[in-house]
Formats: sequence, C-alpha cells, structure tokens
Amino acid sequence: MASAAMHKLLHPHRSREENHPGQQNPASSHERQDSAGMERVREEEKHNLMQWEEQKHPLAPGQIQNQEQKHVGYSSEALRQEDFELIKTLGTGTFARVWLVRVKNVNNGDENKVFALKILRKTDVIRLKQVEHVRNERNVLASVAGHPFITTMVASFQDYDSLYMLLDYCPGGEVFSYLRRARRFNEPTSQFYAAEIVLILEFLHEQQGVAYRDLKPENILIDAEGHLKLVDFGFAKKVENRETYTLCGTPEYLAPEVIRNTGHGTAVDWWAFGILVYEFLVGQPPFWDQNPMKIYEQIVEGKVRFPSAMSEDARSLISGLCTVDTSKRLGNIQGGAGTVKAHPWFRQIDWEALYYRKVGGPIVPHLRGPADTRNFDEYEPEPANREKYTKEMSDKWDEHFRDF
Amino acid sequence: MSLPPDYSNEISALSREVLKHQPHDVLQFCANFFLRRLESQRAEFLLSPQHSSPQGRGMAENSFPGNNPFGSPNNNTQTFASIDEEEENDLVASPTASSFPPNAMDPQSHAPAEDSFGNFAGFAASAKAQQSHPPSSSRDPQSFPNNYNLNRRTSVSAESLNPTSSSSDTFTPPYHQKTEEQQQRLRAAVAGNFLFSHLDDEQSAQVLGALQEKPIPTKGIKVISQGDVGDFFYVVEKGMFEVYVNKSGKLETGLDGLGAKVGAVGPGGSFGELALMYNAPRAATVMSAEQSTLWALDRVTFRRILMDSAFQRRRMYEGFLEEVPLLSSLKSYERSKIADALETKKYPAGTTIIQEGDVGESFYILESGEAEVYKRGNDKSLKRYKKGDYFGELALLNDAPRAASVVSTTEVKVAQLGKNGFQRLLGPVEGIMRRNDPSKETDGVDPLAKSN
Ligand SMILES: Nc1ncnc2c1ncn2[C@@H]1O[C@H](COP(=O)(O)OP(=O)(O)O)[C@@H](O)[C@H]1O
Repeated sequence: MASAAMHKLLHPHRSREENHPGQQNPASSHERQDSAGMERVREEEKHNLMQWEEQKHPLAPGQIQNQEQKHVGYSSEALRQEDFELIKTLGTGTFARVWLVRVKNVNNGDENKVFALKILRKTDVIRLKQVEHVRNERNVLASVAGHPFITTMVASFQDYDSLYMLLDYCPGGEVFSYLRRARRFNEPTSQFYAAEIVLILEFLHEQQGVAYRDLKPENILIDAEGHLKLVDFGFAKKVENRETYTLCGTPEYLAPEVIRNTGHGTAVDWWAFGILVYEFLVGQPPFWDQNPMKIYEQIVEGKVRFPSAMSEDARSLISGLCTVDTSKRLGNIQGGAGTVKAHPWFRQIDWEALYYRKVGGPIVPHLRGPADTRNFDEYEPEPANREKYTKEMSDKWDEHFRDF
Repeated sequence: MSLPPDYSNEISALSREVLKHQPHDVLQFCANFFLRRLESQRAEFLLSPQHSSPQGRGMAENSFPGNNPFGSPNNNTQTFASIDEEEENDLVASPTASSFPPNAMDPQSHAPAEDSFGNFAGFAASAKAQQSHPPSSSRDPQSFPNNYNLNRRTSVSAESLNPTSSSSDTFTPPYHQKTEEQQQRLRAAVAGNFLFSHLDDEQSAQVLGALQEKPIPTKGIKVISQGDVGDFFYVVEKGMFEVYVNKSGKLETGLDGLGAKVGAVGPGGSFGELALMYNAPRAATVMSAEQSTLWALDRVTFRRILMDSAFQRRRMYEGFLEEVPLLSSLKSYERSKIADALETKKYPAGTTIIQEGDVGESFYILESGEAEVYKRGNDKSLKRYKKGDYFGELALLNDAPRAASVVSTTEVKVAQLGKNGFQRLLGPVEGIMRRNDPSKETDGVDPLAKSN
C-alpha cells in the first residue's frame, strides 16, 4: 500500500479533525461508530494491525521523529475493546492491567497474531491523580514508537470509561524475573542488557528530550528475539532543557536531586542506570533498608559500596553514574550518552550492530508459539465491582483525555 | 501428519534470521543458530519458575547464561563462578539464598516494602523520648541488608508540582507565628532529619514558619492510623504519643486492632516524615497518651517551598549568566546546565573572595551583598560589585593570575563555578566563545535543536 494511503487509513480522525475542529468529544463517538464509514475504517484498521507484524523493523533514530511516515503510535477513533479477545492478564501496575489479546474475526492464519493491551480505568487514573502522567505516557509512547528497544505502541483508543494502549507483545517476560531467579547476572549478560538500555536513554534524552524516570528491572521486558523492550512510560516526560519537580520513580532508584526536590531532568535516568547495573551484578540495589526514609538518607549521601569481586571497570562505571553532583555525573556531562558508551566497561560493544539488533542476546525465550505466556506470572482477576465513571466525572475530565 | 508446532516456530525464527543476516555460509549459519537456540533453551530451563528450587537457582547461576554474546560460553561460566565465590566471602551479610524471606519468590505477593511494618523504624527514629527502640533502627545503614525484599517494587509519585513561572503570582507559603523558643525547639527537633538538613536559611525559615500548631485535647486520639494515606509530618511540642504496629499492615477494629506498642514519642520527637515525600500508607498508628500539642506540616507545602526557592534561584542564575559577555553565546539549555551546577557560598563582610596574583580557578556571581575591587599598592577600591555582578570569569578561559582582589564589604552570597565544572559540562570556554563568530558555528551542540 502506498504510504500516503496507509497514512490516511491509519489516521482517519486526523483529517476529520482538520475539517471540523472541536468535534472531538469521545462521548459522542459512539454515534459515529455506528455509521457505515466508521465500520469500514474499523475493519481496515484491524486489517492493518495484522500487517504490522510483518512490517516491524527498527527505525533509525532519525526516522522515528517522523510521525507522518510511521504507521504506529496513532490515536484511533475506530478501534474498541470488543475488537479484541482478552486471553490472559500479563501484568498489573498501580492502576493499569495489561492483557494478552487477539484481534477478533480475522482471516485464517491471523489468529496467532497477538498484542498486549494496556487498559486503564479513567476513575482510577483520576483518583490516583495520574491524569497528567497518563497523557504524558501516551504522547511519549506515540512519539518513540519504532525504536528497537522500546515497546511499540501500535495504537491508542478509548471508550466511555477506559483508556487503551495497544502494544507489541513481549513474550519473554520481565528481566526482573530472570534476574531474581539467577540472583545476579554475570558481566557479559549485564553488559549486553545495560548496553541496550544505554541506547534507549541516548535516544530518549538526546533525540526526544524525554526523561524516563522509572528505570528498574520490572519495567524491562524481553522480546521474542531476546532483545529488551522498555515498558511503562507512566512517568516519562518531555523535559527538554527545563528542570521538573514532581517526585516520581521507585524508592531504591530515586536520584538524590529528586529526593531533595531541587529540580531534576534527564540526569535522573543515568543515576537509575547506575543502580540498575549494580543490581544486575550484585542482585540487589546499593541503597536499601526496610525503612524507605533510610534508603533516601543513604541515597542523598551517595556512598556506594561494592563487593570486592566486582571488576574495576564496573565500579568505575557505577561510581560515575551514581554521582550525587549532577555536574559530575556520567551521562550528564559533556558528551552525554557518548561518554557512557565510551566507558571501558562497554569496550566490547559494537554499538551500531547492537542498535540494529544484530547481536544475539543471552536469553532467547523458547516459545510454543507467539501467544505463549509461560514467562508471565498469574494475576488475580480484576475486581468485579469497579467504581463507576459518572456523568459528572466525564463532564469534568473527558476534556483531559481528548487526544488519547 | 503435520509437523510439530515447535518445529515450525524454530524454522520460521531461523528464516527470519537468515533474511536479516543474509549469510554467505548458510549451513554454518544454521548450525550456529541451532546451537545457540539449544544453549539458550537450557539456560532458560534452568531459570524457569518450575526449576527454581534453591538448588536449581545455584545451577542456574553457574551456567547462566547459556550463550555468551561476547566470548566462548566456557570462559564465561568460569568468570561467573569465580566472581561468585569471592563475593560471598566479602559481603558483610551476604544475601544468601537461605536468608531470603520464604515468600520472596512468590510472584503473587506484591506487598511493597512500605506495607510491611518494617518501615516503622525511621518513622519514629528521630523521637527523642522513646521508651523502647524500634528493632532495626540501630543497624548500620551501609551494611548489606540480608533480608532484601525480592518482590516487585511499586512505583511512587507525589502530586504534580509546577512552579509559578510569572513573578506576579508567586507562591507565599502559609505562615504561623511562633515564639523564639518554639522556633529553636523546632529547629532542634528537625536538625537530625536529612530532609531538613539540606535547607538553606531562607527555606528553613519558610518551612518552620509553615508548621501549624495542632492541639490534641485528650488522651486516646489517633493522630495517624496505620495503613491510611499520609499527608502530614508532625513534631511533638508537648505531651506524649504511643506508637503501635499491627502486623496485618493496617489498623483494625476491635480490642487488638492497634497491634503491638513499639515505642513512644515525646517533646522534640517527630513522626510521619515519609509523608513529606509522597503519599504512602502509614506504617504505624500514633495515639496521644495525654493532652498534647503538635506541629504539623503537609507535603504539598513542604515540597512547594523547596521547589519555589530552587526554581527562583535557577531563573535568577540564568538571568545573571545572560549578562556575562564571555558566555553570551550559550544556548538556553546550556545556561540551565550551568545554573544547575552553580554552587552557593556565603561569606561574612571583609572576606577576600579572590586574591590578586593567585591562579584563578573559579568564576563568581554576586547573589546578594556588596564587594569591592582592590589592586596592590592602591588603598582605594577601584570598583564596587553589587547583586548580579560577576567577577573572575577569565579563570574559565586561562590560568593567568588574578588581576585584582575582591573583598566583601557586607555579608555576601556568591554563586560559584569552577573551570573544571564548566569544562565537564560544556567543554572548553574557548569553543563556546568561538561560536560568537558565525562563520565558525560548531555543530551538534544542542541535541534538541534538531528535533521536529
Ligand atoms: N508489551 C508488553 N508485553 C508483555 N507484557 C507487558 C507488556 N507491557 C506490559 N506488560 C506487563 O504488564 C506489567 C505492567 O505494565 P506497566 O506498563 O508497567 O503498567 P503500570 O503502568 O500500571 O505499572 C509489566 O510489568 C509487564 O509484566
């Protein structure tokens, strides 16, 4: 299909938006969906979802910027939850539930094409004061879709009381699970995963001006080919060159400037990256206590202790990253991610080959098929008595979800 | 008869790889592919949940991962094993498998660290009048804990804070009058708390001013309840409070609902400081033991005070930096990097901030107060510096000795940046200055300029 036509298909509402500005009320979209036109769009979108699998390939960092040319990360007005069969819960976050789903009523041979569908209930998002974060998440995911090591958001959509993000399914499960089972990773394994993360941070910071703000093994998944995919962009924010102040992250991974509330930026990800490498190699993060306040006290003090067997290079990398003074922190100083890539601990990495997924990873999940969920834990079913999304709430909040 | 699905999967994976790599030696490529798959499958098997008995983990460790992307697998195994051995001996308290909590590997239990009563410790750690010590507060925070929580960790976040950008609508924190003694007591009460020890005088005054008196009329009032959301931090002015922890993680109804008494907090003590960071469930119940008085501070006010002063200071520094001709070609993101790195120093009147003849290392901006410039052999000051003036900037450029001395005439606050700091962040100043000449525009300096 010609790319222009494809684009039109995938962005039907975009052109409509241009014609009738201000006609974007999701509550009224039910009516429109009944029209024959919308039905057709919907079928075509579903069809394209089936094609996506074959077309996916890493985009060069420069191509990812180009929103118009890529066929992922769009906001759909046609898709609905009914278009998907919910197979199994893959994970639950604070207020989201991620399902393995299959597109319903598709051609023979396409039954095996699955996705991960992240569902957020609007009431929960509002109650937990995460409206801003959820909007950031969707927008950042849309703009980064196509990166080889970031979970691709194929499309997003909403209905009356929920928000949906359709994601590339990563059947390998969380790096967290492998790490806890192995207790620690050896150096080559740690280097490989760390290096893929460096490429993600380099891209987010230097191409997108985005701070990710929640790096940890729980948010890193392994895809079918054994490469990493970063998920959960709930705290990601386009900060560009301005500092930001909202405290967010995971206790053990918070950077000192976040705790002290002096304003933070992309440098927090390099701090967290140091903690991550430490946790890979040691099996637990460097700052820990049962009492979170004691963790924070250790963090602002910033004294990392290393097991004596840790290699000199690894220590030097981690110390460089976990430096309290941001003007000395590796990754934040002149040269940015380049200084991290040039660190001796990464001596063996061929960065170009790594980006294009030409280097094999240490774990390639062995799967029975594309819909295999053996690498995921079991989760409690969703509680039945959900809080209702009322008319009052919708009047007050739907405005905020408009572009979802 | 149809082919087994596993086989089809492997073959299609292989086909994808072949397409991607376009190997010359197809047979060798396929052989390598299957060898890698086999190794990886074994590694994975050893790491699979069904196989993660303690012994299973041990094996997994030694043979993990099956496939070393960088070297030969054998080699790799050795490295891993040797690291492992030494490490065990070295850790103060090694996280050995046997000390994992029994449910550590249980994926169902999602209890975050905050939910366990463990976080009681610091909760009253600053209490000055405890009758009993919380169990783990005396542990050396730097020793490796041997009971690391191996569960998935929950993310935390506070309300979103956006600084007031226009100066017309600045934030004024609430102010509650206090006597001099009250203030002193409060200062002493929070002195040991790291959240307060980093504050400068101004922030400190604002925070202390914002603490609000809260009378507790009788015994038996629950100021905070275990498991509830927490928004306030409290300092005890007078009276006595008892601290209870229910093992279930939250206050329950009924006789034993409070749980066990684990301590008490009296005058000068404080509790609930985690609430100053974000909204986490309270780790204990705190109940008055008699008529008492508390000082209360809420998270939003606290963080707002910190944010606003940081924000104002950064904007002020950026404004000052804009005035320095040597740095006029800095892009705005570079100016904010420098502003972030400026260090505030305070000097009393009469301090020689830079000394004529010394090798210059730092650059200064006068943030408040006044200073004068002197040259040797001349008693009269040559120049007067006031707020916003800068000096010593040539130190960024070269190692030439200082051409004059600068002495404070009042108490001064200066923002200081060393040459090293500057170069670490932006490279040599010469390069920056060269940008003033448009014909030599350096490229690739602003990563954000290229986006969109
Ligand atoms: N694309 C995906 N493929 C497979 N599993 C996923 C995917 N996205 C998320 N998950 C699973 O769901 C969990 C929760 O998703 P996440 O986005 O982190 O939710 P939350 O924002 O609520 O924390 C993840 O830790 C992971 O186990």
